[in-house]
Amino acid sequence: MGNALTYLGYFFVSIGAIFLFLGALGIFRMPDVYTRIQAGTKASTLGAMSLLLGVAFMEPDWWIKLVAMILFIAFSNPLSSHAIARGSYKNKLKPFSQEDIDAYEEVKEKMEEKE
Amino acid sequence: MMKRFFIFLILAIVGYYIVDVVSQIPFGENRVNVGDYYLDKSPSELKVSNTVTAIVVNYRGFDTLGEVTVLFLAATGLASIMFRRKRKGEKDIRAKKASSRIIQIGSQILFPIIILLGAYVFIHGHLSPGGGFQGGVIIATASLLMLISYRKFKVNHSTISWIESIAGIVFVLLGVTGLILGKTFLENFLPTGELNNLLSGGIIGIIYVAVGFKVAAELTGLIDTLLLNNRPEANKEK
Repeated sequence: MGNALTYLGYFFVSIGAIFLFLGALGIFRMPDVYTRIQAGTKASTLGAMSLLLGVAFMEPDWWIKLVAMILFIAFSNPLSSHAIARGSYKNKLKPFSQEDIDAYEEVKEKMEEKE
Repeated sequence: MMKRFFIFLILAIVGYYIVDVVSQIPFGENRVNVGDYYLDKSPSELKVSNTVTAIVVNYRGFDTLGEVTVLFLAATGLASIMFRRKRKGEKDIRAKKASSRIIQIGSQILFPIIILLGAYVFIHGHLSPGGGFQGGVIIATASLLMLISYRKFKVNHSTISWIESIAGIVFVLLGVTGLILGKTFLENFLPTGELNNLLSGGIIGIIYVAVGFKVAAELTGLIDTLLLNNRPEANKEK
């Protein structure tokens, strides 16, 4: 039983390592701020959470602390990336795109129409 | 020409003596035994499992008092230079618009958690890595988060100076109590308890709680002073 839990832990830790690697690769390879935020946040959030979950399976005594850390990451990581993305939009950073699309502006106009 | 000759002569003499002294020190041999002494004594004598804390607060407690004073002087000096009342027509260098609702609600939830973590770090300073300075800095980051996300978040400077003063007085009084009881300044006079317990290490725990409060209050005031300072050149551009 304990052995099976350990192997489950290995599985989750490897998934976490893969996602963290892909996130780091994305930060290097993506062309602009918005796509980099996407790579750096989505991948690293899942990666770190999966890694901590794997450790929780491997060392069952620590699970309370690890679950607290998972919750903290699930909470703080999207929050900070939201702040960065909003800040860069407000400072009129253009996304790396040929077409002139601004979905946020369209949404804002629709909200104003409703009001 | 003469001047250059004398410069080279003096350099040669100084270099000769430096080489002479350094060559007499055997390479790769530890001649200082104080580190071993601390590692040996801090678990058995003081019942402190974190040796760094034992050195910083007990064996070198007087230095720590000096460090706290230096931090206090730095904060006071910065405040006296930077702090001034707002003139007419000047604006804050804080953001003009409020941050988004997501950040406001999120920082409301994160604020107590970060303060809890900071308190944990300085209360467990004698058991685990960390201590008063680190815990205080963590608490100061919590107030920085609130200052960033709420434009109307105000720091009460008189409360801060009260906390600072009381924490500093507690630190000094603990040291003086040691003197009154016939020991040296800042020597431990409380029962040490058992190793790895929360109530162990004598006065170290109390000192670190005081230091944590002091550092947190000082850095919070410092951040607030820096944020609220109105730079005239920043306003001129607009």
